[in-house]
Amino acid sequence: MIRLLQATRGIVLSLLVVFGSTGIFIFNQGCSSDGNGEPIEQNGESADGGSTSADGTLRVPGGDPVTLDPALAGDAISATYVVELFGGLVTIDKDLNVVGDIAESWEISPDGRVYTFHLRDNVVFHYSNRLVTAEDFKYSMERAADPQTASIVAEAYLGDIVGARDMIRGRADEISGIKVVDDFTLEITIDEPKPYFLAKLTYPTAFVVDKDQIESNPRNWLRKPHGTGPYKLKEWRLGESILLEANDRYHLGAPSVKTVEFLLSGGSILTMYQNNELDVAGVSINDIERVQDPNDPLSDEYVSADELSISYLGFNTQKPPFDDANVRRAFGMAIDREKIAEVLLMDMLPVAHSIMPPGLPGYNPDARGPTYDPEQARQLLAESKYGGPGGLPKVTITEIGGGATAGSDTQAMIEMWKDNLGVEVEIEQTEEATFWQDLDKGQYQMFTAGWIMDYPDPEDILDILFYSKSRQNNTRYSNAEVDALLLQARTEQDVAARMALYQQAEQIILDEAPWIPLYYGRDHVVVKPYVKNYLLPPMVIPKLRYVTLEQ
Amino acid sequence: MQGLLPYVVRRLAWAPVILLAVSFITFAIIRLGPGDPVSVAQGQYRDPEVLERIRHTKGLDKPFLEQYGIYLKNVLHGDLGESFRYPTMTVPEIIFRKMWVSAQIGIVALAVIFGVGIPIGIYAAVKQGTWADPFSISVFLFFQSIPVLVTVPVMLLVFVLKLHWLPTGGWACPVDLGFLPEPVNCIGVFDKRIIMPVLALSLPGVAGVARLTRATTLSVLGEEYVRTARAKGLREFTVMSRHVARNALLPLVTVIGLSLAALLEGAFFTETLLGIPGIGRLAFESVGERDYDVIMAMTMVLATAFIVANIVIDIVYTFIDPRIRYERQRAG
Repeated sequence: MIRLLQATRGIVLSLLVVFGSTGIFIFNQGCSSDGNGEPIEQNGESADGGSTSADGTLRVPGGDPVTLDPALAGDAISATYVVELFGGLVTIDKDLNVVGDIAESWEISPDGRVYTFHLRDNVVFHYSNRLVTAEDFKYSMERAADPQTASIVAEAYLGDIVGARDMIRGRADEISGIKVVDDFTLEITIDEPKPYFLAKLTYPTAFVVDKDQIESNPRNWLRKPHGTGPYKLKEWRLGESILLEANDRYHLGAPSVKTVEFLLSGGSILTMYQNNELDVAGVSINDIERVQDPNDPLSDEYVSADELSISYLGFNTQKPPFDDANVRRAFGMAIDREKIAEVLLMDMLPVAHSIMPPGLPGYNPDARGPTYDPEQARQLLAESKYGGPGGLPKVTITEIGGGATAGSDTQAMIEMWKDNLGVEVEIEQTEEATFWQDLDKGQYQMFTAGWIMDYPDPEDILDILFYSKSRQNNTRYSNAEVDALLLQARTEQDVAARMALYQQAEQIILDEAPWIPLYYGRDHVVVKPYVKNYLLPPMVIPKLRYVTLEQ
Repeated sequence: MQGLLPYVVRRLAWAPVILLAVSFITFAIIRLGPGDPVSVAQGQYRDPEVLERIRHTKGLDKPFLEQYGIYLKNVLHGDLGESFRYPTMTVPEIIFRKMWVSAQIGIVALAVIFGVGIPIGIYAAVKQGTWADPFSISVFLFFQSIPVLVTVPVMLLVFVLKLHWLPTGGWACPVDLGFLPEPVNCIGVFDKRIIMPVLALSLPGVAGVARLTRATTLSVLGEEYVRTARAKGLREFTVMSRHVARNALLPLVTVIGLSLAALLEGAFFTETLLGIPGIGRLAFESVGERDYDVIMAMTMVLATAFIVANIVIDIVYTFIDPRIRYERQRAG
């Protein structure tokens, strides 16, 4: 559900490099200071009258959310706020484990299909202080599935629940698989014993909202939503700022930082950070060199962390010439990703060898797809049914971009295909909306794109992108053996056996190369020394409650 | 002033026709172009069936002309539609707040352009033939030739990181006129944050106004009525203000309209680089997100503003230059 370019607007900058749309860089362009080590004095006067960290406010850059409605939120930026404001049955902790949120405990029936949740009996909605009950959860999930809500994500996250698809399609007035046993017991029945179902419930679509508030104020309830999360919404000024206030009654422990201010205005984030107007800032490729330079004071405040995301080169396996696996392998072996990462991406992103990124359960450090080998690449191309570079039809690579210049990494790949394979590849840039639409129609031969994990389970990448009947299978890849493995993994109850199935499927996919994995995502930020425990989790989780400010 | 009223009425009668044409063309461009707000919002998980269902709910699967008809009908009933990006807000809520921010910056920038450009131009004309003439103008020509993409980072380096005079960007309104309705109660022109955007927007425009002023002043200075005025023994100041300036400034009124367009163009970069929540950034983002109704509303409001501005300028002409009459028979 994550809109990749959206994500680049915030502090999540890593994938931006891969898309290389130069136009976006100006959003994060700071001025290049001389970096002469001059300490930057606190300048209270310039920083908007008093919103310095001294009064216990954490000031971070943020993107303008599409919506704060949990039922509708489908992008990373909206989710950043929604997970702080609202809560569900379960949540993800800082070590990426699925843990109880409003549900204190749960049991899963022996056949793996019925989940019985026992809710805490002391969780109240913000502002109204009304007790959250099982009935609220039933209402909230049915509201998300209601066709009138028009949630784009409801089917992906709630579709496994018995009866949810019927309601989404307007064939039922309720989700038959959600049963209120008593005030604090909720029973959810799913269609098949899917171990990843619980992880899906950590996504906003399944979060609880206050029926009383929504029904009494359907248009404006999001101005001060009654959530249950660690923070309450104090103010949202469109395009300017979002102000969160700590929920002192938060059931998993009240947050230490009392106020968090997200500055949505964009502009020169790093300059604002240097001028003490922000406590955290993302570092773009324009600034990475000086931020990493040990002589620059910023280098002491620089941190980077892996993200659960990956960028890749995709082939349409139904379209010539990439309907031949040898051609795909040859194209993969002709590009030197290590060199591109080092020279053009300033080592901001690690080269990817697997489909499942590091940190994901099931990640296999030994997985290998086609790696740089120009000699063998030429040989494979000659062995293909096209017989060599001369027999290929015209090849075009498509990427998201403004059209002025291609991403430097794409240009490098094109040069490498020309040098190592003797193939002239044309480049086509299209902007985001068109790109996704045409990708779905299977119009591109070859493209670069990315994937950001929504929940920490291999199903969220392998099954969704490579199962032959999946709607998101945009490489049109189809392999009966892989399909069988993925189907088996869906309902395999033994964790180790399940991961082994995914790894097996992953290696087959890598060998057949519908994808050439390019780079894993990585976050690069600077954090002021007085901000402690500012986590850089690899995916969107409620993280603000861990932060403390030192005076 | 005879003939002015019928002229204005005629112009006003044309306004709806122009607006209708503008709305149709804009509607056609955004609807018939590739991509739509539903597919943009969907992002990486795309399910064609879900997309179709939501398009149907939002009426995006209807024939183009029918959609346009529905849109027109809604607008006539005062409903500007809904935003896909901000599903919980109405279109006027979104655009007027941002327009007000850009308008304040634009008005101040316009005042600076003319407030600085006119005196420089007159000064250059009076000093014609001396070094002060080319020098005064070329200082501003220098600023005209530097793109905003350069001036803004330089200003950030100097004013923010070195001198610590100004905050990095953003927008604030320290003056809240509570008796006015939202959003115009919020006055940001007295906040320091307005300095950089105004400088970035106005500096490139000063040279143009100064050069035009210089040229028209020079031509007026050669007129016989100026010689007559001087011959009458009037003080030089009176000659300049009454006889020269008034006639020299006439062509500048036309430039105001053009400057407005230039300011809008510059607003995108300035607002993006300085993090100002204004209309330039909103326009750029809304197009990228295919936020149909917001794009439509912005286009229509701006078109209306241009039509009104042009009519006002035409009316102002008649006050400045008594020779101009708007009569039916005369061409021009």
